[in-house]
Amino acid sequence: MTNTPNGVFEWIWFIASEYAQLFVEGTLITLAVSVAGTILGFILGFIVGIAEDSKLSRNDPVPKKIFLGIIKGISKVYIELFRGTPMIVQAMIIYYGLRQGGFEIDPIMAGILVTVLNTGAYMAETVRAGIKSIDIGQREGALAMGMSPISAMMNIVLPQAFKNIVPEMANMFLTNLKMTSVLNVIGVKELFLQAKTAGGTYYKYLESYLVIAIIYFVLCFLFNRIFLFIEKKMAGKKDYALAVEYMDNNE
Amino acid sequence: MSDNNKKEIIRVEELSKNFGEHQVLRKIDFSVNKGDVICILGSSGSGKSTLLRCINQLEKQTYGKIYFDGKELGRTQHEINIYRSKVGMVFQSFNLFNNMTVLKNCMTGTRKVLHLSKEEAHERAINHLRSVGMAPFINAYPAQLSGGQKQRVAIARGLCMDPDVLLFDEPTSALDPEMVGEVLNVMKSLAKTGLTMLIVTHEMGFARDVSTRVLFMDKGYIVEDAPPEKFFTSPENARTKEFLSRYISDGERRS
Repeated sequence: MTNTPNGVFEWIWFIASEYAQLFVEGTLITLAVSVAGTILGFILGFIVGIAEDSKLSRNDPVPKKIFLGIIKGISKVYIELFRGTPMIVQAMIIYYGLRQGGFEIDPIMAGILVTVLNTGAYMAETVRAGIKSIDIGQREGALAMGMSPISAMMNIVLPQAFKNIVPEMANMFLTNLKMTSVLNVIGVKELFLQAKTAGGTYYKYLESYLVIAIIYFVLCFLFNRIFLFIEKKMAGKKDYALAVEYMDNNE
Repeated sequence: MSDNNKKEIIRVEELSKNFGEHQVLRKIDFSVNKGDVICILGSSGSGKSTLLRCINQLEKQTYGKIYFDGKELGRTQHEINIYRSKVGMVFQSFNLFNNMTVLKNCMTGTRKVLHLSKEEAHERAINHLRSVGMAPFINAYPAQLSGGQKQRVAIARGLCMDPDVLLFDEPTSALDPEMVGEVLNVMKSLAKTGLTMLIVTHEMGFARDVSTRVLFMDKGYIVEDAPPEKFFTSPENARTKEFLSRYISDGERRS
């Protein structure tokens, strides 16, 4: 080699440009897995959270009681299991478990599946807490005018709960962005695995991991700003316009 | 009931409600006729609000029956929804939908429950909001209104459903004193329209002036059921007398 890099910074630059393709690919996979995992995980979390929150009344028909009872039981076990074990272990068990069961699953798909299941378990609790945080009067106001419990949930309670849940969703996404790094153990070619590969050739691990540290940081920083902006937008306007066309003269 | 002008709309039979060991309502029997404006009085814990919430089925009675328009109330969710759309409720804490403007608050029920067209629902909402003096505030969110304004919107929201009966659960108890009047005035003019109203309240003057009947509740029983003239001048029950004398002496002390 004609000009060997000198010092950490030159090496960082050298590795970053030499393996640019690896890092770009890694960034895209990291983003893909965390975005897909988070979005699908939210949906799962919402379903599980609502199921967990639903109450049975004495007058419900028996099949409904049994069905809801089973769903609630499964939800509880699922949440406990996934919150009680590390994601890296879950990844191994799901990936190798599926392979041994004869399921030739792609590492990226397995990675998304693990992220979804993990996110769902955490989001379920957040959704439940979000629903609980809405004053019971909102639901009663809706029911009292003849709205069905489902309609009251969809039109009145959830839209309000959603507002409280958004910051937690943003947090979860940022966590997932970083947590996908553990998926290197099942061979997902996300940033961490790419850095390992890139660092190996010249035995420059420090420099290689510094490259992805910068990438992770920039991604988190950018997304954090975006989420803050969205939250601000969602807070809504502080003032309102009087409808002068409906103003009475004597008012 | 024999009188045609006095058609019965709600009848409650042996209505009882337990919260665990605690018996809040004990075999309540009474009926409401069309056009009645009934005030329900009583000290806190006497079961007034629970009675109202049972009538609207926000609480399920432990025992007893409710008849609406001559028919026993069904048990399925669907039947209860239809019944509730005809028996509106105004709450102490307003319970306006915080995620909606005043206008949407008044249109949600008519759109989602009665399936009115957008134009019809809008027209109804404006009409009723105008009658409570809140039409200029259609673009405001509940958080931007005062308590009295919120309660007037809540009343308009209830009226939009065109209910047969409107229940009021302590509608002025959460209000600052200077806002009580504006809400009571709205209710007074409603009573004049012939709307059937069932009002749990602590406003004695209002009960005396507006109601056609006054019920007094004590420890889960209705112990007095009389027209206001009789109720306030010559009540029969000892607890009622005690309650009224305390109210009168309170009033004198204040003035």
